[in-house]
Amino acid sequence: MNRKLLREARLWLIAIPIALWTLIPIYHIFLFSISTKDSAFSGKLWPDHPTLRNFGTVFRQEHFYLHHFWNQIWNSLWIAVAVGTITLAVSTCAAFAISRLKVRGGRSVMNAALFTYFIPAAFLAVPMYKAMGAYGLLNSRWSLVLAMVTLASPYAIWVLKQASDKLPWELDEAARIDGATPLQLFRLVYLPLMLPSLVAIGTYALLLAWNEYLYAFLLLSHENTIPLAVGLGHFLASDDSPWEILMATALIYALPPAAIYYAFRRYMVGGLTSGAVKS
Amino acid sequence: MASVSFERVQKSFGSTKVVHGISLDIADGEFMVLVGPSGCGKSTLLRMLAGLEEISGGTIAIDGRVVNDVDSKDRDVAMVFQSYALYPHMTVRENMGFSLRLRKENSELIEERVSQAARILNLEPYLERYPRELSGGQRQRVAMGRAIVRDPKVFLFDEPLSNLDAKLRVAMRAEIKALHQRLKTTTVYVTHDQVEAMTMADRIAVVNDGRIEQFGTPLELYDRPVNLFVAQFIGSPAMNILEGALAKSGNSSCVKALGQSWPVESSGGSDGQAVRYGVRPEHIGLAGQGSGGIAAEVVVVEPMGAQTELVVRVADFSLTVVTHGRANLRPGDRLSLSPEAGHAHVFDPATGRRI
Repeated sequence: MNRKLLREARLWLIAIPIALWTLIPIYHIFLFSISTKDSAFSGKLWPDHPTLRNFGTVFRQEHFYLHHFWNQIWNSLWIAVAVGTITLAVSTCAAFAISRLKVRGGRSVMNAALFTYFIPAAFLAVPMYKAMGAYGLLNSRWSLVLAMVTLASPYAIWVLKQASDKLPWELDEAARIDGATPLQLFRLVYLPLMLPSLVAIGTYALLLAWNEYLYAFLLLSHENTIPLAVGLGHFLASDDSPWEILMATALIYALPPAAIYYAFRRYMVGGLTSGAVKS
Repeated sequence: MASVSFERVQKSFGSTKVVHGISLDIADGEFMVLVGPSGCGKSTLLRMLAGLEEISGGTIAIDGRVVNDVDSKDRDVAMVFQSYALYPHMTVRENMGFSLRLRKENSELIEERVSQAARILNLEPYLERYPRELSGGQRQRVAMGRAIVRDPKVFLFDEPLSNLDAKLRVAMRAEIKALHQRLKTTTVYVTHDQVEAMTMADRIAVVNDGRIEQFGTPLELYDRPVNLFVAQFIGSPAMNILEGALAKSGNSSCVKALGQSWPVESSGGSDGQAVRYGVRPEHIGLAGQGSGGIAAEVVVVEPMGAQTELVVRVADFSLTVVTHGRANLRPGDRLSLSPEAGHAHVFDPATGRRI
């Protein structure tokens, strides 16, 4: 009994600092977003006159930096969904080909893809910029989508390949004897069984793109094409930033990922770990 | 329904040869069992017939048509796997109808075939369930159902009963046999269990080390094993094998082993030749001590009810003896053994062949 108590106490000792570490900045954002401009820096734990007016300002695009708010959040959404979808399509096909069809050289392709992670993404930014320029895609949302798919795919392929390896071989053989072509095997047997991993990986790519700043900042420069992450960065351009509005926008920006994560949390834990360790 | 023939079939994985030129003809409607120890190549043979493994040499023909380069799905064979290999995301009904759906059969025909198969296999109450909601035996039946809805030319079974407990295995054995008698579809069945082979097969091929040791009916294999391997593999409990020397005088012959004379019917071989003498536990008679047989001491008594298994010792060598009914014996008792000459086997120790 005592031992159990001790173990629990130790768990709490770890959990409390981590929770504080995570939650204090979020609380800070929240605090800013419900404060008026003059009380934002008062240093109180709860503002004297909490207000929701900042959110109204954001939604009505009533601030100089927010004139394209709806446009930019739409860009963020469009880009994130496109990245999620395309990454999923590319990596599922690759994982199926490598793991189930045993395509010659599949392993090398996967290792080569993983090798790209040895190069920090920031180093690739300039070459990527040059490449997109060569294709004439600069300032098109597609440039960011393609860049993010490139960055997300190797990990996605790797995780999905590990998950595919766990599906029993006999299923493929049974399907082949039952008369399935590789495409039918993919559509009718492979995809349904991979669903949890697919949800996890799709969400991963989607959130990666939603949160991206560097590439978005670099590849897109027009106010109508940038995602909200870059739009938020513009707030810091002036000497006297409207922090309360910036934080209100940030809070709104953080809600969709939280909602997605919450909706798919069951798949996330199972899906990501199921591919992570080889049992 | 179809005949199947293997013609000098070979298989190598890299430089390792696992099947060495096997030839085998399976008649239309026959229930053929491939039996052998694990790793002997029997499953590889079946998988080559199914089209899941490339054939390295020789030909396999189904109904006279060579299928070496024919895709699995065009060979018209159905297979039941050891692990059942049911699609976990489909109901029993969908699992059974899957192959017909892939063939773009109309839904009425699929429905009719599936319910017919479900009726034969007593699966009607489970059609809407998922495989995870079924017991092992039910899953096994679904796997069989998936095979029979197709009405294929050949059924292939790859150790289908290995994952079941002993009682269920006996029940399923009978079901599979009954199914075969009803459908009369040519069947190739792989197992490592010689009891399964003996009870189910029309003919058995004993496979060892990528070669066929003997091919014949169960009783041929039991009565006249062609070599030591088959002799020891077929039959339970296993045959007793003794080292000895052939002693021939005139018309009668016996084997001298363990300082005793073991009777055999006159056979080939020459006087004094070193041999292995084999006699099955059920072919050794028992008598009281001093009644002229081979003196032995009881070591272990295993009463099974209908029969009694004994381990007895003759000059420090243990033999198994099975006697029908009950034996009023205890460890340490002395008795004498009288092997039946007509059921004794003599093998050449060098080649293992029957003399």
